Amino acid sequence: MFERFTREAREVVVGAQHEARVLHSPTIGTEHLLLALLRQQTPSAAVLIRHGLTPEEVAADVVRFTGSADLDADALTSVGIDLDAVRSTVEAAFGPGALDDPKQKAARNGHLPLTPRAKKVLELSLREAIAMRSRSITDGHIALGLLREGEGLAMKVLHDRGVDPVNLRQDLGLVLNS
Amino acid sequence: MADTAEVATAAGSKDPSVGLRAVRSLRVLVERLEVLQVQNARDQGWTWEQIAQLLGVTRQAVHKKYAGGRGPLRRKD
Repeated sequence: MFERFTREAREVVVGAQHEARVLHSPTIGTEHLLLALLRQQTPSAAVLIRHGLTPEEVAADVVRFTGSADLDADALTSVGIDLDAVRSTVEAAFGPGALDDPKQKAARNGHLPLTPRAKKVLELSLREAIAMRSRSITDGHIALGLLREGEGLAMKVLHDRGVDPVNLRQDLGLVLNS
Repeated sequence: MADTAEVATAAGSKDPSVGLRAVRSLRVLVERLEVLQVQNARDQGWTWEQIAQLLGVTRQAVHKKYAGGRGPLRRKD
């Protein structure tokens, strides 16, 4: 399947891995695919942005829904703990980076796995491409795959932002067919 | 950095999204500190029994968590 992905589509998958890592997620979910799509400079990404999605706002939504798996300095401040003070004290005794996530350190070089839903999205992108008689799978087809899959955090973000999936699908279809 | 009054206000906040995130972060912080301290105690020759006693858990619990299988502090030999 991946051999039919265009460069942009591959960049979305690689980008999603980066997004997952930045958000300290152990897996690549639909929300990371959406974020990576939004950071592309393609007609399809422009359609998503025209429908009121920006990477910054979507990233903020994702953190709000999932929380951060890493130490959250703001949240700790709310119970009177100064994370910077804790960090510098611990590092003074145990060395730099002592308080960093041991799992994150191990995962930094390895590949993160796709969630079943994200995998499904990529499979559906192939079907979308076939249905449109496209020889290759572009980032736009991944966007259509997200909509077709219809669930997951990416769709929740879309829904909460008042994006109309039917409209969005139509607009994506227009740029993909042109 | 928030001043004391601000912190006090936030701590009294009844917004669950603030409170729950704080609890989660505290749990993460405790886990990381525990790994460091258990590692350090082992390096200094403490027994699992001694470590468990101070952590307030059973020897089996601390041994299972840190000494067994794929844990971060498993024996390297």
